[in-house]
Amino acid sequence: MTPVRTRLPVLLRGPLVAAAVLIACPPEPAPAQPVPSVPPLAAVSSAAERIYDSARPRLLQIRTLLAAAGRQSSIGSGFLVSRDGLALTNYHVVSQFALEPANYRLEYTMADSTRGALELLAIDLANDLAVVRLDRGSDMFFELDERGPDTPLAKGERLYSMGNPLNLGFTIVEGTFNGLVDNSYIERVLFSGAINPGMSGGPAVTAQGRVAGINVAKRTDGELVSFLVPARFAAALLDRARDVAAPSATELRAEIGRQLTIWQASLYKAVAEIELRISAFGPYEAAESAAPWFTCWARTNAGQAPEPRAVINTTTCHSDTRLFISGDLSTGMIQLHHSHYRSVDLNAFQFAAFISQNDRPPWMGGWRSKWYTRQRCHEDFVAVSHADPHPPLRLVWCARAYREFEGLFDVSVVAVTQDRSDEALVSRLAMQAVTHENAIALTNRFLDALRWKK
Amino acid sequence: MEEVIWVEVLSRHRDVATRHRCTGAEIRIGRGYDNDVVIDDAHVARAHVRIARDEDGALFAEDLGSANGMFTDRGRKRLRRIRLDGESVFRIGNTMLRVREAGHPVAPERPFKRNLHRWTLAGVLGATALAIEIAWLWLSETGEPKLTHYVSPLFISSLLVLAWTAGWSILSRIFAGEARFERHLVIALAGLLAYSLYDEIAAFAAYSLSSYTIASHQGVASWILLAGASFFHLRAIGPSRLKLKAAAVAALAAAVIILQALNQSEIQETFGQEAALRRLMPPMLRLAPVKDTAAFAQDVEALRRTLDRDRREPPSQPVLGSLFAVDQD
Repeated sequence: MTPVRTRLPVLLRGPLVAAAVLIACPPEPAPAQPVPSVPPLAAVSSAAERIYDSARPRLLQIRTLLAAAGRQSSIGSGFLVSRDGLALTNYHVVSQFALEPANYRLEYTMADSTRGALELLAIDLANDLAVVRLDRGSDMFFELDERGPDTPLAKGERLYSMGNPLNLGFTIVEGTFNGLVDNSYIERVLFSGAINPGMSGGPAVTAQGRVAGINVAKRTDGELVSFLVPARFAAALLDRARDVAAPSATELRAEIGRQLTIWQASLYKAVAEIELRISAFGPYEAAESAAPWFTCWARTNAGQAPEPRAVINTTTCHSDTRLFISGDLSTGMIQLHHSHYRSVDLNAFQFAAFISQNDRPPWMGGWRSKWYTRQRCHEDFVAVSHADPHPPLRLVWCARAYREFEGLFDVSVVAVTQDRSDEALVSRLAMQAVTHENAIALTNRFLDALRWKK
Repeated sequence: MEEVIWVEVLSRHRDVATRHRCTGAEIRIGRGYDNDVVIDDAHVARAHVRIARDEDGALFAEDLGSANGMFTDRGRKRLRRIRLDGESVFRIGNTMLRVREAGHPVAPERPFKRNLHRWTLAGVLGATALAIEIAWLWLSETGEPKLTHYVSPLFISSLLVLAWTAGWSILSRIFAGEARFERHLVIALAGLLAYSLYDEIAAFAAYSLSSYTIASHQGVASWILLAGASFFHLRAIGPSRLKLKAAAVAALAAAVIILQALNQSEIQETFGQEAALRRLMPPMLRLAPVKDTAAFAQDVEALRRTLDRDRREPPSQPVLGSLFAVDQD
């Protein structure tokens, strides 16, 4: 899913990924459609009225300003959670400042138009949360509803999401709580209500006015499919942020790297602990992860006209573990891809050329040198064992390192079986923001499962 | 019978431009119309030089006191008197002259022969190159076979060979006086054949031996082949000063190769490295041994160390900087 902020982050490559969008708001206002005025109806939504009335002095609009120009570069929302002026928002609302504090500064605006500066105290990359401190205290703030997944709200319970969508003014939106998102690695509340860009970081409260979740993202390929960060993660981060001094630029960067490394460690531990699902591909078999948070799709070229001269059956699986780091960097995915090639009437040379044309060697792109080093590759003929059940493989390993995050790499591995001249299995494994050790371990596990069918 | 002496005015390429039949004990050469041989060259004196025999009966040329003087063919030293042996060339003003007696030996008559063997050779070379190209195209054919897939590349390469040959023939015609088309065609076709052989062998070797040295130096090889062909073309134009020609061609090729290598490293620096093997071959052609995963992991570990070093370098370092940078580790 994609967080909700001003600039829409680059969506995942490939048509298979239905993207959710981060909800922070673009500075350019869209022209408003005039709406005919409706005579007021008494007590249509008295709960919303009452909730907004009490929430109004606790809501914030959070702006990231370009320090030199003093102009906004992205907008989100936030809310007060303590007497001494601590407020919660999304990490993606303050990510520009977190990564480049020299070029940006943070500012809040309240419903009564008071403005002031913000300090960034703590971030939680995995849950897309941040704690900021206002330049003043406040007697009015939100209470968090820290219920865990064991004692959830009832499905269908009404939630009220607040924030400042598209810089149009503070709004309150009614919607329903629909439990946690199924088959998701990252824990998110499914909220059926309209969250719009600019509302990121705003609270979604129960009828009692307690914060159940924080607005974070929505799906653009559906209607009213929005996501909230469960409030208990916010409570945990808040505990860490109390009484700390604002971290320096270097400390913030190091913290992002540290959190990414920890996040990656637990992801690959989870992958390692979940068994593999073995699927057959012609005479071969290969592994897919049985983890529920892998989405798999299949396609074939068999139905093409004119009839293809070699048939390709492809299965692609990707984890829904994408992590937002900055507007130009989302990472953390694992992708697995098996293509079974079978020649119809190509000779051995043509068949080999066909595979080379359709399954290019890994190419992660080298133009974003801000985040990555150049890609380097190593390739050779490899066999897991020299006898059954492992076919010999042509193995290519390409990797690039993250400049900012010591020890993390993007790794892409391609294995092509090398035992038949009219049939082959091409397996690709791509891992983003992974340590070398974890990449080797997962690769070995997948190579070991690539076998001749018994 | 009166002795006949021929005074030949040579072109810059030492070909005979005009030939004057002279008789008499002394031949006078200059710009004035009272000379035996009249030279239309502004840098030649009215009466510039005289040809006569010395006491031994040998021919010599003698400066008659001109302002610009008289020199041997490529000499820089002004001479008053030069002995002539029928081969030596001397220069007055911008004009080259050679003097020959009637008895000067000439090469025996060359029998009339058609350059059939050259045309045959060109045919064989062309057919072989064509066959290799067609075979390669066929082995790469993965879609619907279409005639244009084969005809278009062959037509284009034939056109290129023809244009290349025609270019050299024109140079030949200018500098050697004859086009020597078939000789240049043979050289061009031989170059093309060598290149396509190299290309295919490199592709096979890259896969079979899992070695990319040959394939990754394709640019270098093609420039060397081009330089080699150019040298033979130059030799076909004129066999003189071969060392100079070889040196010039080699220097040019080296310059292009260095420029290309620099460009290549700049691209790699910016865009990173792709896998070296672009094209798989049938598994039965594999000659390189199969490694086990542990050995592969070791190689990949080395890659990781390199990447960790890359990580510490600032992004997109300029190429020259990286060429001359001192390794800090």
